[in-house]
Amino acid sequence: MVDAIYIVTLVSMLLVLLATFSSLIAFRFGAPLLLLFLAIGLIAGVDGLGIAFDNGPAAYFVGSLALALILFDSGFGTSIHAFRQAAGPAVVAATIGVLITAGLVGAAAHYILGVTLMEGLLLGAIVASTDAAAVFFLLRVGGINIRDRVRSTLEVESGSNDPMAIFLTIVLVQIISSGGGFESLSVAVLLLFFKQMFLGVLFGMAGGLMIVGLVNRLRMERGLTPIFVLALSLLVFSLAGAVGGSGFLAVYVAGLSAGNGSIRSEGTIRRFLEGVSWLSQIIMFLLLGLLATPSQFASIALPAAGIAFFLIFVARPVAVWVSLLPFNYQRAETGFIAWVGLRGAVSILLAILPVLYRLDHGMLYFNTAFIVVLISLVVQGWTINPVARRLGLVVPPRIGPVDKVELELPGTAHHELLAYRVVADSPVARGVRLPRWARPSLVIREGKSMRYQFAGRLRAGDYVYLFISQRYPRLLDRLFASPAPVAEDDVEFFGAFAIDPTRPVTELQAAYGPELEPGEEDKTIAELMRDRLGGRAEYADRVAFGPVELIVRDVDEEGRIVSVGISLAPEQPKAQIPLFLNLRDMRDLLARAFGRKKAEAREQEAKAGHEEPEPAGADDEPSKADAEHPL
Amino acid sequence: MDLSDLIEVPAIMPALKANSKKQVLQLLAEKAARITGLPEREIFDTVLRREKLGSTGVGNGIAIPHGKIPGIRRIAGVFARLEQPVDFDSLDDQPVDLVFLLLAPEGAGADHLKALSRIARVLRDADTVAKIRGTSDAAAIHAFLSQTPASHAA
Repeated sequence: MVDAIYIVTLVSMLLVLLATFSSLIAFRFGAPLLLLFLAIGLIAGVDGLGIAFDNGPAAYFVGSLALALILFDSGFGTSIHAFRQAAGPAVVAATIGVLITAGLVGAAAHYILGVTLMEGLLLGAIVASTDAAAVFFLLRVGGINIRDRVRSTLEVESGSNDPMAIFLTIVLVQIISSGGGFESLSVAVLLLFFKQMFLGVLFGMAGGLMIVGLVNRLRMERGLTPIFVLALSLLVFSLAGAVGGSGFLAVYVAGLSAGNGSIRSEGTIRRFLEGVSWLSQIIMFLLLGLLATPSQFASIALPAAGIAFFLIFVARPVAVWVSLLPFNYQRAETGFIAWVGLRGAVSILLAILPVLYRLDHGMLYFNTAFIVVLISLVVQGWTINPVARRLGLVVPPRIGPVDKVELELPGTAHHELLAYRVVADSPVARGVRLPRWARPSLVIREGKSMRYQFAGRLRAGDYVYLFISQRYPRLLDRLFASPAPVAEDDVEFFGAFAIDPTRPVTELQAAYGPELEPGEEDKTIAELMRDRLGGRAEYADRVAFGPVELIVRDVDEEGRIVSVGISLAPEQPKAQIPLFLNLRDMRDLLARAFGRKKAEAREQEAKAGHEEPEPAGADDEPSKADAEHPL
Repeated sequence: MDLSDLIEVPAIMPALKANSKKQVLQLLAEKAARITGLPEREIFDTVLRREKLGSTGVGNGIAIPHGKIPGIRRIAGVFARLEQPVDFDSLDDQPVDLVFLLLAPEGAGADHLKALSRIARVLRDADTVAKIRGTSDAAAIHAFLSQTPASHAA
C-alpha cells in the first residue's frame, strides 16, 4: 500500500509533466494543446502503455470539480466590459443555440446510429456545449487580435453554455433511465430549468459578493488568499448544486462577479487561478483519455465522424446563425463564431453519465462523443487562425509592444505600481511628458535610481516606476509603446484617407456620392456610423457606405468614434460567405428587390417620356485599364 | 497598373514654389483650370470642401486632393512636386511635397474611386516616390508615375 503511493504518484506526475512539456510543442505548432493532453491520456491508457483506469464515477467526480474551477477562472478573467458587450448574443447562443445544436445533432444521430430519437437527443445534448478552456486557449494563444465583439461573444458563450448542456444531459439521462419518452419533456422540465438557472445566477452573484467582501475584510496572509478564494468558489458551486440550482452556472457567475469587484490581491489570485485552471484541464483531459478505450473506437468511427462533421458544418452554423439573427453580426463574424465551436472536455465528461446511469449502449455515447471531440479539436482547433485571417477578422495591433511589469500594492485594491521600460521611439522617449495623475516616482537609468523630476527627458532603456489608480493603464501603455508598425495591409485595413467624424454626412455625400437614407441627412459621420453599426462602434469596425467604406480607426474611452478612415475601393471581404445573413441584410435584400422593381417602373416611364441622353464619355478609358488589372 | 491614362506631361509641375496648403491647392486648381477649361474658382472650392472633411494628406509627404466637378469631360489629374514641403494637416504630421490632384465628372462614381486608390497605391511605393523626389523634370516624373511598381501584385 505504501509502495502504491509512490508508484501512483510517480506515474501521474510523469503524465502531468509530459502534458506540461507538450505545451512547448503546442505553442510552436499551434496545435490544440488540449488535443495533446487527451492524446497523452490515450497513449498511457489501457490500449497504449496499459494503465487500466475504468473508474467512471471517480472520473466524473474529479472532472466536475475541475470544470467548476475552470469555469470560475474563466468568469474571473472575463471583464465586465466584454461581458456587457456580448451578454445578449452569448446568452441566446448558450440557451437557444444549445437547444438547436442538441436537436439537430439528435436527429442526425437518430438516422446515422439508428438509436431512438430520445437517445439521439441525449447524444446531441452531450456534444452541445463549446469548451471554455479550448476556446479561451486558442483565442489567446493564437497570437492574433480578433475583433473585440467576436472574441467576447465566443468567450462568454463558451463559459455560459456548459450549464445548459449539463442540465439537458442530466434531464435526458434521467428520462431515458426511467423509461420515459417525449411526454416527459413537459412544463415541469421547463420549470426545473428556470429554477436551476435562477438559483445558479442568484448563488453566483451572492457568492461573488461574498468572496470580494470576505477577501477585502479579512486581512489574510497573502499566500492564503488564493486558497481561500478557491475554497469559497467550490463552496458556491456545491451550495448552489445542493439546493437544486446549477452549480456550474453559479461558479461561473461568482467568478465573473468576483473578478470585476475590485478584490484585494487581484493579481495574485488571478495568477493562482490561471495555474489551477491549467492543472484542472490537464487532469481532466488526462483522466478522460485514460478512461477511454480506443480499441472500441474503430467500430463506431465512421458514424461518429459523420456526426462530428454534421455538427461542425450544419448543426453549429445553424444554431449560431439563428441565435445571432437579432444582433446584426456581419456575415464573416457569424461564420467565424460558428467555426469556433470547439468541443472539449465537457462533452466527454457528460458522456460518462449514460454509463453511470447504466443506459443501454452507454459506451456508444462515450465513444461517439470522444471521437466528435477529437475531430472538432483537430479540424476546428487547428484552423482558427487561417479562418480568422480569411474572414478579415484579424485586427492589426493598435500599439506596438509594451515592456511593463505590474506590481500590486498591499492594502489597497485601487492602486498599483507599474514599472515600464522605455522603448526607443515610444512617445515618452520622444519627449512627451507623463500626465500628473500617473505619479511617476522613480527612474532607474543605467543602474542608478533618481527622482522623476530630476531625470529630465526619458531615454530608451530607462525604467520608470509609477503609482496609478487602475483606471488608466491603457492610456499609459500608449505613451510607453513603441510605434505600431504600419504594414501595407494596415493601409488597406484602415483606408487610404482619414476623415473627420464630426463633419456632417452631407459633405461625405457631396464628395463621394453615396446615397443617404431618409432621416440621415442631419447626422454627423460618427452618428451615422454608430447607427449603422447598431448603436456601438468599435475599433476596426467597417461600415459600407455606397461605393466607399468607412472604417473606425479609433474610439475614445467612452466609445465615441474619434478617427475614421475611408476606403475607396472596398475589397470584398476576402471570403464572401453566402450564408449567415442577419436581419438587416435580409431587410436590405428585400428592399433592394422591391427597389429594383420600382426603379424599373420609373425607367419605363422615363423612356416613354423622352430618350435618355448618352452619358458623357467618362468611363471609356479607365475601365479598360482596370479590366486588365483587377484591384 | 499605371497612371498614364490619368495624367499627361503638361499637367505636371515638377518644381512648384508654394508656402501653404492653400496656395498649393490654388496653384493646382489654376493648372487644372487651364487643362480642363473649367473655372479655377470652382475647382478650388470643390477641392477645399473635400479637405474640410479631412486632410487628403495620406502620410509620407504625399497628398491626393480630389473632388467631383460637374462639366468636366473625363477624369483628369494634375501633379506637383514642391520645392519646399508645406504643412498639409496630414495624419502623420509630416509636411507634404508631392501632390496629386484628381478631378472627376459628377457621374464617374466607381471609376473616380478606382483611380484614386490606384494613385494612392502607386504613391505608396517607396521606390517610385524616391525617384520622383530626385528629379525636377516633368517628363521624367510622368515616366515614374507611369511605371508599374514592381513589387505590388495587388
